[in-house]
Amino acid sequence: MLILFKRISFYVAIAGVVASLYLVRAQSLKPKDPGPLSEPGRSEFSDSVAATGLIEASRENVRIASPKAALVTKVFVKVGDLVKSSDALFQLDDRETVARIASLQASLTANEAQLGIDENQVADLADQLQRVVRLEKDKVATEDELRRREFGFKGAQARLISTRAQVEAIRAQLQEAKVEASVLTVRAPRDGKLLQVNVREGEFASAAALTDPLMLLGDVDRLQVRAEVDEQNAILVSPNQPAVASLKGNASFKMPLRFVRIEPYVVPKRSLTGDSLERVDTRVLQIVYEFDQPKFPVYIGQQVDVFIRRTPGVAETSKP
Amino acid sequence: MLRLALKMLLGDRAKYIMLIGGLTFSSLLMTQQRAVFNGLVSWTTSHMRNMRASIWVVESRVEQVNETKALRDTDVNRVRSVSLVDYAVPLFQNVVKARSSDGSDKQVQLIGLDAGTLKGRPTQMLSGGDEALARLRIANNVIVDVVAAQRLSAVRGKPLKIGDTFEINDREARVVGICKTEPHFFGYPYVFTSYDQALQYAPRQRKMLSMILAEPKEGHTAYEVSRQIEQETGLKAYTVPEFEKATVNWVWKNTGIPVSFLTTIILGFVVGVAVAGQTFYSFVLENLKHLGALKAMGAGNLLISAMLFVQAFTVGLIGYGIGIGITAVFGFLVRPIGQPPFLITLQDLTGTLFSILIICFLAAVFGILKVARLEPAVVFRG
Repeated sequence: MLILFKRISFYVAIAGVVASLYLVRAQSLKPKDPGPLSEPGRSEFSDSVAATGLIEASRENVRIASPKAALVTKVFVKVGDLVKSSDALFQLDDRETVARIASLQASLTANEAQLGIDENQVADLADQLQRVVRLEKDKVATEDELRRREFGFKGAQARLISTRAQVEAIRAQLQEAKVEASVLTVRAPRDGKLLQVNVREGEFASAAALTDPLMLLGDVDRLQVRAEVDEQNAILVSPNQPAVASLKGNASFKMPLRFVRIEPYVVPKRSLTGDSLERVDTRVLQIVYEFDQPKFPVYIGQQVDVFIRRTPGVAETSKP
Repeated sequence: MLRLALKMLLGDRAKYIMLIGGLTFSSLLMTQQRAVFNGLVSWTTSHMRNMRASIWVVESRVEQVNETKALRDTDVNRVRSVSLVDYAVPLFQNVVKARSSDGSDKQVQLIGLDAGTLKGRPTQMLSGGDEALARLRIANNVIVDVVAAQRLSAVRGKPLKIGDTFEINDREARVVGICKTEPHFFGYPYVFTSYDQALQYAPRQRKMLSMILAEPKEGHTAYEVSRQIEQETGLKAYTVPEFEKATVNWVWKNTGIPVSFLTTIILGFVVGVAVAGQTFYSFVLENLKHLGALKAMGAGNLLISAMLFVQAFTVGLIGYGIGIGITAVFGFLVRPIGQPPFLITLQDLTGTLFSILIICFLAAVFGILKVARLEPAVVFRG
């Protein structure tokens, strides 16, 4: 054996074995799994149905529209403002109406003056008539004189009624113009927060139902989550089950949900890319949950991951 | 007596070197080809080392990891609904066209990671670090691997660095980090971005979700959970070893690569047998006189056989050691470049050892047959 130890080839071979074993070891080492960067959405229940949810106002949002197609002259609010019911939101162009009110006011004043003159004349003629009646009894005045006074008095009375009616008519027109003017100020139909303001002074407000409403009014005191479950999993959902929502992107922000209702109509899945060309082949069951405002801020329109507790014993999904 | 055998072997330096040379060559050929083959096969499953997850959920007809058959968006929630799944995230993967700032087009492997968790993110960040990963959530930001940094740069030899931009499908992509990945089977460079961003980059299709990465709940194996996912959703769920096996099987079935490598490995064996056998046989023939003398002195066939076996296995083992040593040197040299593929495993080493031992055994047996038939008297005639 000893003579083998004198050979270089022997040591080269040993070195070769060592080197290849080292390489085997070095190559078998894999970098570690870095794991998730932030907390992933996990279910708190042992059996659950997962869904994607969207935060919305608990009462449906109001899409404020314009009663008339007109120019917007003044916007009284900005995004995020809290408004009370009947607070003014924006003003439509009312110059014509204001001018009409002024002109009606003037003609009302003129007619009211005429009314005064007419009333005075009626009083004067009534007085004359009274005296002529007495004189006619004493046979001092002629019947002709009496008749003339009578007709004169009746004519004045008729004129007075006509003027009075005219005054009433102008008052009514004035009232109408004032109502018209008040319609041109758009007011909040209820308390809430302005979630969107898409109209600015000088823009034209169309009276049609727009895809982007002029303003969006929502009730932010109470928010709710609309959770969407794949129709294939719809069978696993049952009412009155608790659920937990976590913010998309960081699931360590969790909030418990209370069941409100299951929407009875299954709708096509809404795609959030906003692309109208998107074709959909999935329908989803919507379930509405309410929640108390958590310690962290949540916003209307934010996406959440929802886990709904599954009732034990409900049938498993069948294979498609 | 065995010492004498070694003396006999080592004394004839020319024959000794010839024997060692043949066996070294055979050992080198077998080990190196196996390692290159392993390396190439490992590239097919590099996805699973570049993006880490215990369970890979795919469309039910997907056979291997490089294949993409899109799922529906809501399938993520269906997998999340499976009770043994701890969590599940979407993954987008597709080959898309990228354009470097000099206008040349390159195909890249685009990976879209779930924006929140970034599950499946690159394991080795070379620059940018964790901050780059967080910036992946911002629009148009991407992390590229070293290959992409080189291929997509406008100036040869000046790879992309943080802050540089290129285009993916006419949209800007800004590099926020550079990572190291294992090469893709088809050689595409990796570009990582967030899932939502990847949907913007990729050409529009009806269904965009490629895969779902899931983790089992604590106390359950990935295998168990995979079976439950399959049963409840009808999708196909693979654990990492299953997916690796399925992918390698696919390569065996659908490409000529394994056959060509197998041929080379068999050739290595045949060349080994031919060279070593022939040289050893001529070595025995040359030493026939001495062996005959030994026989005449009363050494039995058994003893002579033992001597020949010692000689054969000695050259075999030394040749084997040098052969795998040269392979290792080759491995160390190509390791930093990553080209050509090279992955040596313990099975390769033991496999080669076994083959070399067979070669030596055969060579010794040829010699023994010759010596056994030898009349001792013959040596004294001449």
